[in-house]
Amino acid sequence: MADMRNDKARKDAISKASGRETYVGDLSLDGMIYACLVRTSVPRGIIKSITLPPLPDGYYYFDDRNIPENGRNELWMIQKDWKCFAAGSSGYVGETIGILCGPDRTLLYSLRDQIKVEYEEQTPAVSIEDSLALVGGPIIGENNYHCTVELQAGDGDIDEIMKNAYRVVEEKFSTGHQEHMHLETNGMMVNYEDGKYVYYASCQCPFYIRKSVAGIIGATPEDIIVRQMSTGGAFGGKEHFPDVVAGPLILAEYYLKKPIKLIFNREEDTQFSVKRHPSVVKFKTALDRKGNILAMDSIVYYNAGRYLASSYIVIQRGCMHIEGVYKFPVARTRGYSMATNTFPSCAFRGFGAPQTIFAVETHMTHIAEKLGVDPVEYKRRYLIKQGDTTITNGKIVENVRTPELIEKVCKASDYFEKSRKYGFGSGKGIGFSLYNHGGAFTGNGESAIIKAVVKVCKRKDGTVLIKAGQTEMGQGFSSAVCRIAAKTLGIPYEKVIYKYPDTSVVPDSGPTAASRSTMVPGNLVMKACEELKARWDEADELECEAHYEHPEGYPWDQASFQGYAYLGYGWGACVVEVEVDPRTAETKIKGIWSAHDVGNCIDPLIVHGQVNGGIAQGIGWASTELLENKGGYFKQHSMSDYIIPTSMDLPAQEVYYANEPYKWGPYGAKGMGELVFNGSGAAYVDALSRAINRKIDSIPNPTEVIMGHILHSEKLTEDKR
Amino acid sequence: MSEKLHIAQNLEDALLFRKENDCIVMAGSSDLMVSAYQGYGALPKFDKPVLLIRNLEELIGVRRNSDGTVEIGACTTSRQIVESPDTPWVLKQAAGRMGAVALRNSATIGGNIANASPKGDTPGPLYLLDAVVNVMSLDGGRRSIPIRDFIIKFRTIDLKNDEIITSVTIPVSDKDMTYWFYHKIGTRAANAISKLTLCACAKVSWGEVKDFRIAATASGPVTNRSRDVENIAIGLKFDELAAKASEISGAFDKVISPRAMPEFRREATRRMIEFFIDKVSKNSYKKFYN
Ligand SMILES: Cc1cc2nc3c(=O)[nH]c(=O)nc-3n(C[C@H](O)[C@H](O)[C@H](O)COP(=O)(O)OP(=O)(O)OC[C@H]3O[C@@H](n4cnc5c(N)ncnc54)[C@H](O)[C@@H]3O)c2cc1C
Repeated sequence: MADMRNDKARKDAISKASGRETYVGDLSLDGMIYACLVRTSVPRGIIKSITLPPLPDGYYYFDDRNIPENGRNELWMIQKDWKCFAAGSSGYVGETIGILCGPDRTLLYSLRDQIKVEYEEQTPAVSIEDSLALVGGPIIGENNYHCTVELQAGDGDIDEIMKNAYRVVEEKFSTGHQEHMHLETNGMMVNYEDGKYVYYASCQCPFYIRKSVAGIIGATPEDIIVRQMSTGGAFGGKEHFPDVVAGPLILAEYYLKKPIKLIFNREEDTQFSVKRHPSVVKFKTALDRKGNILAMDSIVYYNAGRYLASSYIVIQRGCMHIEGVYKFPVARTRGYSMATNTFPSCAFRGFGAPQTIFAVETHMTHIAEKLGVDPVEYKRRYLIKQGDTTITNGKIVENVRTPELIEKVCKASDYFEKSRKYGFGSGKGIGFSLYNHGGAFTGNGESAIIKAVVKVCKRKDGTVLIKAGQTEMGQGFSSAVCRIAAKTLGIPYEKVIYKYPDTSVVPDSGPTAASRSTMVPGNLVMKACEELKARWDEADELECEAHYEHPEGYPWDQASFQGYAYLGYGWGACVVEVEVDPRTAETKIKGIWSAHDVGNCIDPLIVHGQVNGGIAQGIGWASTELLENKGGYFKQHSMSDYIIPTSMDLPAQEVYYANEPYKWGPYGAKGMGELVFNGSGAAYVDALSRAINRKIDSIPNPTEVIMGHILHSEKLTEDKR
Repeated sequence: MSEKLHIAQNLEDALLFRKENDCIVMAGSSDLMVSAYQGYGALPKFDKPVLLIRNLEELIGVRRNSDGTVEIGACTTSRQIVESPDTPWVLKQAAGRMGAVALRNSATIGGNIANASPKGDTPGPLYLLDAVVNVMSLDGGRRSIPIRDFIIKFRTIDLKNDEIITSVTIPVSDKDMTYWFYHKIGTRAANAISKLTLCACAKVSWGEVKDFRIAATASGPVTNRSRDVENIAIGLKFDELAAKASEISGAFDKVISPRAMPEFRREATRRMIEFFIDKVSKNSYKKFYN
C-alpha cells in the first residue's frame, strides 16, 4: 500500500496554530458596513405588519418587497421551496423577515430590537408526532410529507412472513435534534467588484451559494463569485445553510454596492441555523423458532422542519442504511420526511445514516439479548459481504472486512471477558456497534448531477497548483490532496499548493460533502497529475484536467431508486465502556476502541483526528447533546447549555484499521469523514443500557434522562449475572 | 454620568466612587460581561457606570485570623482559593470545579456570592460552613451578615448601594468535623454548570453525632439547608444513623424545591444523602467523600 507517513505538517497547521489564519470575521474593507437578519419570533403565523423605527442616515432595511421585478423570493437548494424572506408568513421561529444594514453594530442591533412585527398566530406542529397528527392543519400537501421513500429487497411477501413468524419483535427508536456547534459561527461578506457580486464566505460548497441566490436579483450564477474563507468547522452545517445567509445579502448588495459583513453570534448560530433531523424509527422483525431473522420491516420518520433543504436525500440515505452492515432475507423500509414548524433540518455528518444505524444496531442488540446471545455473536451471523444484494437491489462490490474489524476491537477492548463479567446492572457496561457509510453521492449522482472537474497547473516556479472546488474546513482536505498530488508527480509536498476555492478560478468539482472529497475529486487530482507527469517537460506552464467518469457495469436508476447505491463503503466497529454512578446516574466513559476500513489513510494523522472527533461527536449526540424544542422554540442557546463533550469527558481512544483498498479511489482511499460518526452513539447506548440494565431506545441521554431510565424503564434482562 | 468606567486605585477610592455614583461593581467580570453582551462586534451594554475592583490588593487573599476563622477576600479568584492551604476542603472542591482554567483565573468569590445564582458553586459550601459575608461602605461602615441572610432570594442580595463586599469569614475548619462530603453533578467534566450539588459534613465524637449538616444547590431558588432536618441526626449514636437515613433524606426532600428536572434532582439528592449517612454510620477512617 502507498506509504503516506506523517513526516509533514498539515498545510494549515502553522497559520492556524499561530493565529495568522484569516477568517471572514477578520476581513475589513474600506467603507465596509455590517448587517444583521431580522427574524420571525413565532413558529407559525401570518405576518400582519412590520413597523420599523426611523432609520438614521446610512442605515437600510430590505425584505421581499425590495426584490427586483425579474427576481424571485426563493433559495435554490434541491428544490426552490425555501423562501429567502418570510414574505407574509412565518413557518418557524427565526425565519428571515428582512436584512438591516449599517455602519455601527451596536446601533444596528438596537434598531433591530426596535422593529415591531405583528402576527396572527397559528398552532405549530413541532414534533414528528404533531406533524403526523396534522396539528394546526397540514403545513404542506395533505399529509405533511415533504417526500417519501420505499425500498424492499429479498423474496417473499413481508406481511405474510410476519403473520407466519414464530415471533415478531416490535420496537421504536427516537433521536433528537443535534446542533453542529462548529467553533466558527456562520458568517460572510459580500462586495460588488468589477461588475460581479463577490462573496467571502465561511462555507463548504461555494458553487451551491452561486446557484442558490442568483435568482433573487434576477442574476445568473456567472454574475457571482464565491471565495471561500478559512472555515472553522462545518460538519454539514455550512453545506446549504450559507445560502440562507447569502440570499438577503445579495439583495442588500444589489442596492448598496459596498462591502457588507454579516456574522452570527453564538446564540443566533445555535437557535437559528439548520440541525440534524430528529427521527422516529419503527421495526417489526420476524424470527423463527431458533431466533433467526426472517424479515425486517421498518418505518422511518425524519423531522425535516418547514422546508425541504436536503431532506429528500437525507431520508433516502437513512432508508438505504436501514439494514446497517447486515443482510436479512427480506427487508422493507418506508421513509417519510415530515414537515414541521421548526428550523429546517439539513446536512449533518452522517446525513441521515446515523439515525437508522443507531436504531438497527440497538434493535439487533435487543433481539440478541432477548435470545440470551451476546450481541456481537448475534450480529456476526448477518454480516453483509461482497456480492450480497443491498436494499436498493444493487450488490456490494468490495470485499467487506467487518469480521476483521470485529476481531480487532473485541480483542483490544477485551470485549467478551468484560461483557461476561459486567453483565447487566453492575454499574459497568461495555457496548458494541457496527456501521458503514456509503461514500460519495448516491447511485449515479456523481456522473448525472455533479460531473466533477479538477485541474492541476504546473507553474513557472516549479510548483503545482490544485484547482478544485473542494473546501478545507478543518477536516484536512488541503493536506490530503497535496499529498496525493505530490506522490503522483514525484515532487515534494511543499511544492504542491492548495488555495481556498474561488469560483472564478477553479472548476466545479462538486460539494465538499458526502465524504466524497478525497475519494472522488482526490482521485481526479491523481488522474490529472498522472497526465501532468507524462507531459511535464512540454512547457514551463501547463494545465491538465480530469473529468469524473462512473465505472461501467454498476447501473443505477434514479427514478425507481434501484441499483448500485454506493461502490465503496467505509466500515467500522466500535466498543465503548462506561461506568455509571449508582447514586447520581453520572456516566464516565472508561474506554473507546474503534476499527475502521477507510480504504487507505492518505494522511494517517488526519484520519486519526477524524476518527477521534467523529466518535466524540457521535457520543455527544447520544449522551449530553440535548436540544429541546418547546412549542417551536429551541430551549438551549449557547455552549453553556447545549452540552458538547470536552476532551475531559473522553478517555484516549484506541484506533485500528483493516483497510480494503478502493479500486476507484486515490491510492485506495475511500470516504471516511461521516463513517466515523455513524456508530459510536449506538455503542455508547449499548454500554449504558447494560450498566444500568435498562432498555434505552432514545437519544440523547444526559444524566437526568439516565436517572429516568433507572427509575422507569423496562429491564433489559432479569438475569443479573 | 461622570465616568463610564472607574478603575479603583485602592479600597477607599472604590468606596468613595461607590458612594458618589449609582454604579455597578465589577470584579472578575465573568458574569457581568456575559449579561452585558449585545451581539457580535457590539459594545457591551451597562446602564450605569462601572467600578472595577478586581485588582484591589486589600480584597485578595485567603488568611487565617487569630481566632481560627478563615477570611477570604472578595476578589480572591477560584484558583487562589484552591491553592491556599487555609481553604476548607469543601470550598476547595467547589472552587476547583468552577468553569475551566481560564474562568478560575478570573471568577471571584465575591462575584459568585453577589450573583446569587442558585447554580453558583461556592454558596453551597459557604452555607454549610455558616460563613459570614463582610461588607463595607465609606467612613468605616461595616456589616457582617450570615450568608443565608445575605442572599435574600433568587438573584437578590442584602447589599446597599454604597456597599462593597470585602470578604467572607468562615468559622468552621476541616478538623471541626469528622466527615465531609462534596459532589457536584455538572453538565459535563469541564466548563460545567451545576445540575445539582450536595455538600454535607458530620461530627462524631464518643460514638455520638455532635453535628450534622447538609446543603444543596441547584435544587431551589437559593441554597437549601435546614437545621430541623439536621437535628434529626444530631444526638444519635452513629450506628443509629443508618436506620434514620430515609427519614432524614425524606425530610430534606421536603426542603428542596427544584423546578426543572425535579425527579432527577430529588432522586439524586436522596441517594447522595443516604450515601453519606451510610459512610458516617460505618464510622470509617476516611474523612473526605465525593
Ligand atoms: C464560561 C463560564 C463558566 C462559568 N462556570 C461557572 C461555574 O462552574 N460555577 C459557578 O458558580 N459560576 C460559573 N460561572 C459564573 C461566574 O464565573 C461566577 O459567578 C463568578 O464567580 C463571578 O465572579 P466575577 O468576579 O467574575 O463576577 P463579576 O462578573 O465581576 O460580578 C458578578 C456580580 O457580582 C457583583 N460583585 C462582584 N464583586 C463584588 C463585590 N466585591 N461587592 C459587591 N458586588 C460585587 C457584580 O456587581 C455583579 O452583579 C461561569 C461563567 C462563565 C462565563
